[in-house]
Amino acid sequence: MFQLALKNILFYRGRSITTAVLTFVSTMLFIIFVSIQDGSHKSMLENSLKIYTGAIEIYHKEYRDTGGNEYLIEDVKTITDKLSEIEDIEAFAGRYETYGLLSSREHSAASMISGIDPAKERVLSSLKEARREGEFLSENSGNCLYMGAELVKKLHLKMGDEVAFVGSASDNSFAADILKLCGVFKTGLFEFDGSTSFINRSYFDSLMSAQNRASYITIKLKNMDDAQRVNSEILKLLNDDALESLTWKTLMKTLVEAMEVDSIFGYISLSLFFVVIFFVIMIYGFVNVSSRIREFGVLRCIGLSGANIFRLLFYEIFVLSSLAVVLATPIAGFLCYYFQLHPIVIEGMAEMYRDYGVVSDAIPLNFDIFTILWNLGVIYILNFLSIVYPYFYINSFKPIEASRHV
Amino acid sequence: MFKLIIKMAWKNSFLRLSRTLLVITMIAVSMSMMIGIQGLYDGMTANMIDKNKRSDSGDVALYEKEYRVEKELKNTIKNANEIKGAIENRAGVEAVVSRVRAEGLASTARKSSFAMINGINLSEEEHFGVFSDFLKEGALSLEKRDALVGIELAKTLKLRVGSKIIFSTQDSSGEINSLALKVSGIVQTTNISLDNSAIFMDREKLHAFLGTLPSEATQIAIKSSKEGLHKALKLKYPELDVKSFLELQPMMKQMQDMMTIFNSITFFIVMSVVFVGILGVMYVSVLDRIREFGIMLSIGMQYRYIRVQIFLEALFVGLTGYIFGATLGAFLLLYLRDYGIDLSAFADAMQSFGYETTVHGTIKISYFTTTFLAIMSASFLSVLIPLRKIKNLNPIEVIKAEK
Repeated sequence: MFQLALKNILFYRGRSITTAVLTFVSTMLFIIFVSIQDGSHKSMLENSLKIYTGAIEIYHKEYRDTGGNEYLIEDVKTITDKLSEIEDIEAFAGRYETYGLLSSREHSAASMISGIDPAKERVLSSLKEARREGEFLSENSGNCLYMGAELVKKLHLKMGDEVAFVGSASDNSFAADILKLCGVFKTGLFEFDGSTSFINRSYFDSLMSAQNRASYITIKLKNMDDAQRVNSEILKLLNDDALESLTWKTLMKTLVEAMEVDSIFGYISLSLFFVVIFFVIMIYGFVNVSSRIREFGVLRCIGLSGANIFRLLFYEIFVLSSLAVVLATPIAGFLCYYFQLHPIVIEGMAEMYRDYGVVSDAIPLNFDIFTILWNLGVIYILNFLSIVYPYFYINSFKPIEASRHV
Repeated sequence: MFKLIIKMAWKNSFLRLSRTLLVITMIAVSMSMMIGIQGLYDGMTANMIDKNKRSDSGDVALYEKEYRVEKELKNTIKNANEIKGAIENRAGVEAVVSRVRAEGLASTARKSSFAMINGINLSEEEHFGVFSDFLKEGALSLEKRDALVGIELAKTLKLRVGSKIIFSTQDSSGEINSLALKVSGIVQTTNISLDNSAIFMDREKLHAFLGTLPSEATQIAIKSSKEGLHKALKLKYPELDVKSFLELQPMMKQMQDMMTIFNSITFFIVMSVVFVGILGVMYVSVLDRIREFGIMLSIGMQYRYIRVQIFLEALFVGLTGYIFGATLGAFLLLYLRDYGIDLSAFADAMQSFGYETTVHGTIKISYFTTTFLAIMSASFLSVLIPLRKIKNLNPIEVIKAEK
């Protein structure tokens, strides 16, 4: 039966070439499209996680929903001691965040001021790498502020300028101080760069009466894929109903959802191509089958069953699909791999889409064997489905009737 | 003669019914899907542009020269009322609003966030952009200390209707000043920056709070579809920064352009594949009847009549597919326009990216006209190769040949 299928493929060249070419095109399109989509999503997520948000963060249960100083984490040390026992955690630190007004000589702006541990933050985030001017914070940087570039612009500050800070401390008392601009960072996240400043945690703790307290504890993992497992381990270890430990999937729910929506629209667009290509492959298969009704009639008359006819059609489409897939997969795979290492760069894209959190002009593709395999699976399934109608059509003829068909 | 040819073409088009139906289904399904997708994507962009215009800049907006670089109260348009009045009297201007805006810190008892306070006049805004459309929760009131808050800011600060907020900022004399407000409503404009940070309050009260004069404004926005208004205002007010909507929102322009490019590429690929489908069927249809054409040629029928007949066959199939596709597509577009696709499961993402949770499509006549031309062209072109085959026929040999 397989040999007969091969013979048919070679004999009906027009149909064979069209089917193989269309399968080749759809395979290439599918693999590259999904790779671009996954690559850009992965890059957006990695950029966001790298900048500031942790893979896992621990909060007091009411802090994210209600907020307020009574929902700060108390006794941070006890928790961090427990975290040191987990091997899969690369680094962790408590952060104390508050909002306040910063004023230069003539200008004022609202800012989120975050007290961080400079040494730990070097490992936890890419804030140090985002430095554009001055210095990143150090253990001895005292009242130094490390400020977002857009906020510096708003306040018309120069390096070394003094800024007045007014806010409320962790005990709800009034807090004010004169701080000094020591460094400027630019992450590319427009809103973040326009509203955030960092200060040495130990200095800020005494100003805000926040010793051993934190808004949350951020955690970096050795392997991001372990987030769920490590999170369960943390929850078990903490064993405290007042605390919650959340993975990046919850912390970045909006971004994760946005990527899902983007994927939905991407697949809707892609489905259009597949439907058209599926129809054309089916039409060519059908035209081919309907011109071979007599041949199928004779085959049935000499004892071939309906299942054998189906096998014959199946072998034909399998060989043609495999031929196209074998050619398309290495090419598409190579392109995905190459553009993963050397991302496509669209100049000005980050600036244009800054409101959407796009921080880089680069669009890397994602090379993932598993993704390519399921892409190929879909192509095979579509091609196999295209023989269903031709098969039922040919089976609707009785063997004698088919063998006499004109 | 032509009547006969038309009759023959019609009958032959449906001679192999299953095959023809498959082609018609292919055209109808791909066409309806394509125009559905085009309508949906265009609708999303158009909706975003429309709401951005209505909630903010309008078609043209005027600012003091330095304002967009340095968004401070010293950079207000001083004689805004006079300019507004003059623009209102221009022909083709539908509505004009003036607004005053200041950046600062919004705080509740528990949370704080960066915010932007906007002084507006509700009745002017209603006339300008049907502001009431943006209301998601609460009432549209700016009485006493009432304020309307952007939906994302409300989420950040965990605000509800009735919540109290304190807004602090630097006033026109450089002093830090605070103002207590009560949330009367939550609005969603789908303008990302407004939804993320805007607090709307009464313009006159904001002037009093900021210490600016009622005749000042940070922005004058104009609604007008009149061609050339932007240029005319640029000439008339050289001391001001006069910007068109797309100059202010280059991203929208790029999104629109990208959508057009994406739709064009999709259209081209889909139509090319449809062409391959029709070609296959027409080619086989001609080959099946090659003896018939040989006989027709040998009894004296001119080649041009056969050519017309085959063209007509392809056009009948294409036209039938188009009619089904257009009908299906029209229903799909109507559904998308009236009911849309409910993506409230992804509400956070949709809102933070400036989309409504239910996305609606739009209907353009061009979807149907361009598709009609493309399908007819594909049908027409698909018979050129089969026709060459017939033209090169030797009638006697074909008749003698075994089928």
